[in-house]
Amino acid sequence: MALLAVRDLTVDLQTTRGVARAVRGVSFELAKGGTLGVVGESGCGKSITALALMGLLPEGARTSGRIDLDGTDLLSLGEDALCGMRGNRIAMIFQEPMTSLNPVHRIGRQIAEPLRQHRGLRGAKARAEAIRLLDRVGLPNAAQRVDAYPHQLSGGQRQRVMIAMALSCDPDILIADEPTTALDVTIQGQILDLINELVDESGMALILISHDLGVIAETTDDVVVMYGGSLVEHGPTDSLFDTLAHPYSQGLFAAIPDIGGRHDRRLTTIPGTVPELADLPPGCPFADRCPLAADDCWSTEPPMRQVLPGHQAACLRLEAAAAGRANGGRGDD
Amino acid sequence: MSTAATDPDLAGDGAPPQGFIRRAMRHRAFVIGFALTGGMVLSALVSLLWTPHSPTEIIIANRLKPPTAVHWLGTDQFGRDILSMIMAGAQTSIVVGLIAVSLGGIFGLALGLWAAARRGWTEDLIMRLSDLTFAFPVILIAILLTAGWGPGITNAILALGVINIPIFARLVRGTGIAMWEREFVQAARSAGKGRVRITFEHILPNITSVVVVQATISFAIAILAEAALSYLGVGSQPPDPSWGRMLSESQNFIFLSPLIAVWPGLAIVLSVLGLNLMGDGLRDLLDPRLARQR
Repeated sequence: MALLAVRDLTVDLQTTRGVARAVRGVSFELAKGGTLGVVGESGCGKSITALALMGLLPEGARTSGRIDLDGTDLLSLGEDALCGMRGNRIAMIFQEPMTSLNPVHRIGRQIAEPLRQHRGLRGAKARAEAIRLLDRVGLPNAAQRVDAYPHQLSGGQRQRVMIAMALSCDPDILIADEPTTALDVTIQGQILDLINELVDESGMALILISHDLGVIAETTDDVVVMYGGSLVEHGPTDSLFDTLAHPYSQGLFAAIPDIGGRHDRRLTTIPGTVPELADLPPGCPFADRCPLAADDCWSTEPPMRQVLPGHQAACLRLEAAAAGRANGGRGDD
Repeated sequence: MSTAATDPDLAGDGAPPQGFIRRAMRHRAFVIGFALTGGMVLSALVSLLWTPHSPTEIIIANRLKPPTAVHWLGTDQFGRDILSMIMAGAQTSIVVGLIAVSLGGIFGLALGLWAAARRGWTEDLIMRLSDLTFAFPVILIAILLTAGWGPGITNAILALGVINIPIFARLVRGTGIAMWEREFVQAARSAGKGRVRITFEHILPNITSVVVVQATISFAIAILAEAALSYLGVGSQPPDPSWGRMLSESQNFIFLSPLIAVWPGLAIVLSVLGLNLMGDGLRDLLDPRLARQR
């Protein structure tokens, strides 16, 4: 049985422009020790999905569907029960290490927080455990750094501290929301390697949210591609990257700059912008940016169709997309 | 306590407690404000033990004397020594300011933190009640209280305390809500902490500087308001010395002896100025962003 099973998750957010459906009918599963990548542009619902898993949606958000963790529906739990889950069974690391630590407390104290909260560790024991964790995430001189304030650390070091905090209670699932986006390129690799290493070592499952396809390809077993709050493609990483069944996935790939290419050429983009979630048109959310859109794309919501076993895409024109790929390749070379 | 953090190979060195005094000494407004406030506090403390003359002793023969070697600031219409009255009056101002600000600060802080943590209808209720209190000027509240319980310093303090509650509640709610949106609070929540613990461990320490600054400003306003209430006759009662009442009584003699109005006025101006400068200075000094650049 899957460790985490998300069924038909829908999230409505209150915005100044009315109710926005930020996540619409998302379903996926995550096995124990499995790794799942979530890809998509800004505003596609990736982070909201993650916050829904943590039970940390903004005030006034409404959800439907199920999020089953080991058979318990997280959406039905009250705040107290969720507090017992967070940091204990599901942990999360955030995009901005510079602001994710409280500036007024020493880092040792902050790492020990989940230990105090969930394991009842106090004083010297908690401190020793904090030092061990800091050492584990590769912070040099951990025994002394444990007394440092966040502003005395660099961005990469702070992200290591965040990872140490997330790991402290041996969670079943680690959610990493763009963990390397705010870091220098040289540090990004180190942090990703660290996350990979820890996932292998501890056997926890990983949900890695990123818009960086390279990061996803290197790290995860399975990928979901999100657009406009819906899943548009879902499958094993190798199969998905080989096939790129959905026109949006193809567009995402084509938009990766080609370092070896000619410098006088403009970068490839997907025309248009991400749709406003508050007033999404009927039919396929990608229709107005899709090169293959036909009349029925504007009126019919595309169902999930199988591309290969275990690999699905939500598109009415999968055949046309496959043909286009066969002829034009990535379209930019 | 912070020796462990002074590891020389650590990057910056602006940890909150370190270098505060050094930076404070370089902040001119803070130094001036601190000196003026210190002067007020010192004269109040000294007056507890000693004043040049008794601040309440009436010697009619000495009335309305200009400054002399015996009476440094002269005497008032009853022949009382003005310097002694000013020193003793500082006591009244400080007691009123301290109690009123503590009262408003403690209740306002609690309500503001609660509103920020709970949001929803709790917040609405607290904020609408605050608006209601804002609708009544402090003088009116004091007069209402005196109408019920008679004039006196206690009612003046109570009125000033009540008026400070919504001021603190609003400030704390606003900065608190902003703090709840910060990533480290989200990180704390994702570590499984409840609202109460987050409020005390993450929200409160990060809004202390705002509250301290507001406290100095409220203190200054309380001194002014106490003077105004005493001037109107609903504050401290004779013979307790009060800067506001000295000012109000002096106006009958302003053409005979203009200086007797100047002294209490000057005392009020300097102490309010001192507290405001100190508040401004504290705001700069306690701002972690400014503390970090050196």
